[in-house]
Parts: sequence; C-alpha cells; structure tokens
Amino acid sequence: MHDSILTHARSRYLWISLALSAISIALYLWHDPAVAPNGGTWLGYTLGTIAALLIVWLMLFGIRKRSYSTTLGSTRGWLSAHIYLGTTLILLALLHCGFQFGWNLHTLTLVLMLIVIFSGFFGVYAYLRYPTLMTRNRESATRDAMLEEISEIDQNALALADGIAPEIHAVVLRSIENTRLGGGVWTQLRARDGSDIAIARIRAAIEKRETQAGAAPPALQAGQTIIAMVDFLAGGADDKQSEALRKLIDMLSRKRALATRVARDIQYQAVMEIWLYIHVPLSVTLLAALIGHIISVFFYW
Amino acid sequence: MRWLIRRVLKKGKSSISYEDDTHYGEILTIGRASDQAIFLPDLRAALNHASVTAVGNGKYRVESLIIAGIRVNGEITYSITVASGAVIELGSTRLTLLDARGDYDAAVEVSTIDKSEQAAISSSRKKPTSLSETWISKRWPSWIGFVVVLLLGLLLPAATHVVPGLNKVLRYSPLPSTAFWNPGEVDAAHKIIANDCTRCHQNAFLMVRDTACTSCHASTKAHADPARFNIPALGDARCGTCHQDHNGNRGMVSQAQELCADCHADLKARTRNASQIADISDFGSNHPEFHVNLPGWSGNDEFTPKSMPWSAALKENSGLKFNHEKHLKADGLNAPNGRKVLVCANCHQPDVAGAAMLPISFEKMCHECHQLGFDTLAPEREVPHADVPAVTYTLDEFYARRGLEGGYADARAPTIVQERRRPGSPPLSRQEQVEALAWARDRAREAARTLFTSKACVTCHSINTTAGADGGWHVAPVRVSGIWYVEASFSHAKHQTKACNDCHAGAASSKASNDLLIPGIDNCRECHAGAHSSGKIASTCIACHDYHRSPLLTLDKPAPTAANR
Repeated sequence: MHDSILTHARSRYLWISLALSAISIALYLWHDPAVAPNGGTWLGYTLGTIAALLIVWLMLFGIRKRSYSTTLGSTRGWLSAHIYLGTTLILLALLHCGFQFGWNLHTLTLVLMLIVIFSGFFGVYAYLRYPTLMTRNRESATRDAMLEEISEIDQNALALADGIAPEIHAVVLRSIENTRLGGGVWTQLRARDGSDIAIARIRAAIEKRETQAGAAPPALQAGQTIIAMVDFLAGGADDKQSEALRKLIDMLSRKRALATRVARDIQYQAVMEIWLYIHVPLSVTLLAALIGHIISVFFYW
Repeated sequence: MRWLIRRVLKKGKSSISYEDDTHYGEILTIGRASDQAIFLPDLRAALNHASVTAVGNGKYRVESLIIAGIRVNGEITYSITVASGAVIELGSTRLTLLDARGDYDAAVEVSTIDKSEQAAISSSRKKPTSLSETWISKRWPSWIGFVVVLLLGLLLPAATHVVPGLNKVLRYSPLPSTAFWNPGEVDAAHKIIANDCTRCHQNAFLMVRDTACTSCHASTKAHADPARFNIPALGDARCGTCHQDHNGNRGMVSQAQELCADCHADLKARTRNASQIADISDFGSNHPEFHVNLPGWSGNDEFTPKSMPWSAALKENSGLKFNHEKHLKADGLNAPNGRKVLVCANCHQPDVAGAAMLPISFEKMCHECHQLGFDTLAPEREVPHADVPAVTYTLDEFYARRGLEGGYADARAPTIVQERRRPGSPPLSRQEQVEALAWARDRAREAARTLFTSKACVTCHSINTTAGADGGWHVAPVRVSGIWYVEASFSHAKHQTKACNDCHAGAASSKASNDLLIPGIDNCRECHAGAHSSGKIASTCIACHDYHRSPLLTLDKPAPTAANR
C-alpha cells in the first residue's frame, strides 16, 4: 500500500496520538479538582507542560525539514508525527484550560494555536490532493518545457498571422504581449491567463472580415468552436487565407491549452504554499503568545 | 521638418560607430513596411506600427497604429506625449528620442538590443509564477507577530508592575493592561479590588501570600495549632490551597472532600494521638455516629450538656414533663375558646436565621390552656410564670390585702377576714391585724403548695419539695430546644420542604418527654452521602463543618512555634 504522510510507518503516530488523547481524556474525567478544571491544577500544569513542549517541538519541524544531513528520522516521519501530534494539541489545550475562555492573552494563545492547526489541516489536504493533480496537469512535461513551447508557438503564430492580414498580425502581437502567466497572489490562486482575450480578439477580427465581405455576421454563441468560425469565414476569405487562419487558430488553441495548464500548475503550487503564509507566521506569533502566557501566569502566581 | 536618424552600429565588443540619416516629414513612421521612415525587419513589428510627431519644446508624441500598442519607457501605450530621452522598444530595436540638434528639428537614435539584453528585459518583465516571488512573505509577518504579541501581551502589562500608575493609564486606553492577563473573573467579593492585581499578587513570580489575605480578612480563625498537631499539610496550607480566585462567581470556598479527608482519614495516627478526633473520610461511608449534646445540669443548675454518641435507645432530660401524643391529637383538644388542633409549628418555631428552633414560650404556647390561677374566689388572678420568688410574693401580697380588707367569702377564714368593712367603721385593732395576716400567710403558703405540688407547676415541671417550708420551691431547669449537634451547622431553613415527621418520626406518638426525638446519622444518610456518591446528595465535609474553627488561633496571628511557647 502507498505510504502517505498519514499512514507512515503503519500509522504509528496516529496510534501514539490516539493513546495520548485517550490518556488525557481519562485523566481529565478522573481528575476531580477542588475548583472548576483549569490550568492551575496539577493536571492543568501537566497538560500545559506537555502542550507547550509539543508546540516547541512542532515548530522545530521548520528547522528539521531544512536540515538535510540529519539522521533523526525521515522528514516524512517527522511530518506524519507533526500532523498527528499537532492535531492532538487541540484536545490537550482544551483540557488544559478546562474549557474556560475569556478576552485575555491565554485565550488569544489558544485561538492562535487553533488557527495554526486548522491552517495546517488545509496543508494536509493540499499535500494529499494537489501533487497528483499537478502531475496529471503537467502530462509529464515540466513547466519550463511548456513555457518554451508557448514562446515557440508565439514566433510561429506571428509569422503565420503576418501572412494573413495586418489586423490578424496585430491581434497576435497583442496576444503575445498580453500572455501573462503568473502574477500577484490572487492571480496565481485563481489561475487566470490572458489567452481568452487573444482568442476573443481573433473572433472579432474574423467578424470584421465577414462584415466587409458582405456576409451576415454570425451570432456568437457560447460553446461554438473556433473551427466553426473558420467555416463561416470560408465564404469571404480565399482558400489560402482560410487555411492559414485555421492553422493559426489551431496554434492559438494549442497555446491557450498550454497557457491554461501552466496557469493551473502555478495555481496548484500556489495553493500548496499559500497556507504556509498563515501557518508559519502565526506559529511564530503563537510562540510569543505562549511565552507571554507562561510568564504572565507565573508572574502573578 | 528635418529628422536626424542616428543608427548605432556595434563593431565588436566596445567599438561603436554612428550612421546619421535625414528624414524629411512631419511624422516619423515606424514599422515593417518598406515605406516607413524607420524600417524594422522584425516580425514583432507591424507593417505600420507607430508614429512619432515632434510637438515642439523638445517633446514628442508617440502613437500606436495597431491594437497591440507600443512600448514607451517600458510601458505599453497607445498614445503618449514624452520628453526627449524617452525610449521606444520594438522587437529587438530601441529608439531613443533625442533633443533637436544642429539644423535638425528632431532627432532619434536607433540601436539594437542584443540577445542577452532581450533575455534580461523579458525576464525582468516576467510576472511572478510562485508565491515566493510575490510581495507576501513568511519572514516579516512572523517577526511582526512575534514582536507585537510579546510587546503588548507580555512586556507592557509586566511594565505596570514596576512603573507606578501605568496600569491605570493602560486601563483607560485601548492598549492591554494586566487585565489582559486575567485568566478569569474574580470572585464577586473581590471585584472591588479586581483592577489592582498587586493587592493580592504582591510579589512577581511568588504565589499569593497569606498576609495579602489577612490584610483584609483579619482575625479569621485558624484550623488547628500546627505546633500541637504535627502535620506538614496543616503548617504548609496557604489560604490559596483551598481558596482559589479567578474562577468567576462559582465562589471561592472549596468543597473538596479530599481537603479534609486527606488528613482526617487517619488523623490519630498522623498526629501520633495528639488528636482524639475519630477518623473520618466520607460522610456516606466513613463517618461515626453523631455525638448528640444532651441537656444536663450541674448541682447548682449550671447548664452542662453531655455529649454522647446518638443511639435509638438514648433518653434525654429536658427538665420538662411533656406528652407529645396527648397534645397532637388529630381531632384536637378542648381549649377555653373551643376545640384546637395542635401541630408541631404551634410550639416549634424557627429562629430568625431559620437555623435552630426558638425556645418554647409558656406565655405564647401553653398559657391559653394551662392557666396559673390560684384562688376560685378570684379566678382572673394568676401567678407569674418562671419566677419562683415572684410567685410567693404575689400570693403573700394577694392574701395580705384580702385579709386586711376583709369580705373574703370563705367559711374557713376567720370572721375578721370574712367580715366586709363598711365606710366609716373603725380601723382594725393590732390584734385583729395580726389575726388577719396570720391567716393570709397560711393561705398563701397553702396556695403555693397547691400550685407547685398538685395543680399547676408540677404538671410540666419537676418540683423539689424538700426546700418546702420557707417557700423556697425549686423548679428543675428546662432546656427544650437548643443546639443538639454543636459540631455541625444544620439549618432547618434549608430543609423546610420536608415534613417535620420525616426526620422527627416518633414525635406524634411520644408519650414521655425523655424520648430523644433528634435523629441520628442514618436519618441524614437517607438523602446525603459523601462526595463520590451516586443517587444521593454529594455532601462533602464543608457542608456541615467549619474549617476556620480554632478556639484560640487566628490567621493574622500565627501560631507560636514549639520553640517560643
């Protein structure tokens, strides 16, 4: 069976986490403090210490995954433990505080921790889902190869368009200028590319030729293929031009497909990374809150 | 208009030469068509791509003639007016608009962008294709988050401990003060000092000292003398061991059974017999029978109750004779104002606090039926209750007056007493007075004897007749209601939903006043059990017993140690 981060080493860390959770719940139920359960009872201190050490250890994952020479287990093993023990942390922290919340530093620490953990859940989802999608999308090419092919198509399309009409050439030229793969955070996450505009422009140019030729402009309907457009064109343009135009549209369709795949590739990569921009800074913020939480609790003991 | 077109020709690595050309015309056309002023044999240029017009003052107007636009100074544009020095890029050609020079009206420099430069430009124009190339970052938000939270969450509130007045300022500002550290609402009674953490937390990183508590809670009684009972837990116990604040309005009195049972489960062994209190660990399963405080009196009538374990066979001595059964008849009693049905509450009424029962009041509860008349010729006259000397005074005075006034219609009395005095008749002679007063004294004594020994007092009280002759009757002292369990705090008020009979079961059928009608522990255990019971009220020690109960020690005056005793 495929060994994913969740099933690593026969789900060893799942069982460790479940055991830790079960012991904590059992202790919490058995524990009958004189006051309402809180972080100040012996169990509260115990769970709090375990949770704090866990947080520090979980943060060490950021260092561990960068140290390639270490012999302290595989990164996959660490990640598996990171996920399961990180999830257990929700329970430990809630039992530690005895489900008492307030508008204070202590609950802020809890909230930060929960955001970090839940952003991590998204990360798990992304790591399980997107690598497969990414591989499928690339169709065993690399992103660089796809980009190179796009620039080749650009060159050929220009040459071909020049042979048809200056408007078509200008449209293709513009489409090249407008082919913008990548962009800001939102653009990357939404997987937009400029190819649609280029195709639309060609349609407009074709329409223009149609009108000039005296034929009725066809109603552009959603879902009509570019090839169909060329068939409409056939009446107004000479055979050579139609042939070249058909070729050009083929070319641009190919480019569009490629650009869409590159944009999607960028999107997948961005989605797989975006959560880290919440997970990592908030975990560092959490560390500050944790330090504040621990010191403040003992400052006014 | 004369245009200077200067072409930059590169020969080898560093040598550059220029080739000047002149163009006549208002407009400088740029494109791939052969009729263009600047002819660019480059597929990236349209046939008629753009035009440049000199608009004077060293300014040029650049216009694109196709929908793809033209890149001027790095930006795609359709029409723009620029100063000299502006750069137009088209494919691999760079056109730099120059100031007019010599006898030319306008000038432009044409140079080639070589391959490596083109690559550099295109890569610099490339949009970011991964998040790490965009503006977002993990590093600086991490730093900001860390520093802001540490500063506002920890350092600023901590600074209030060393900077006087800062906390007050912070509390009226949106910035976090020590309130941001408050793990939970303080107890209702402490709200008045809740804004000043240092009232209780006097020293940073030290637990709240007892002195912080006793500064307000002065002279609260201690539990027991740690010097006498050598138990570490007793000496080490802080106020905070049992009283934890910041738990909202749950109250601060710990109900935990363990707090008591940890020591009291084996207290004798623990104190090496310094304590003789029975070992107790749980009300339901390990608690001795109650010790009931039975009324008793010393030789000179001092109340000296006797404490002994409750048992069903135990008899009490209240000093009173009373038959509950006779009084609690369901069909009532013959009272002067008709039939009257008595219930418990007619005689047993709770005190204001609702805890114990008020003492029985003869005047309010008994007198309606049990009247203290002593003379059939004066049925309205009664002796006072509960005051033996007053009873004899009353009788002495009553009969002395009757004797001296005369007209007392009793055949057994001397004539002088029976004779009615008329207005104007002479005063009694000395002899007559002596005779009348002798009668009065005898009559008073007789009446007293009747009251005390056969008619009134003795109905309910034990009368000591040996004191008899001089009129010094002795009525045994009475204690009907009182505190039967002095070590426990029982409240009738909390149990008022129960019927009296539920706990005082034998009362209605009790014929003798020495029946102990106070229930023992089994009665309580019908409803109450220890902390870990199920199906019963979990009653821990503190439900009935006080902790702060030392007769001598208070918390603000620590116990003398063994050394300085």
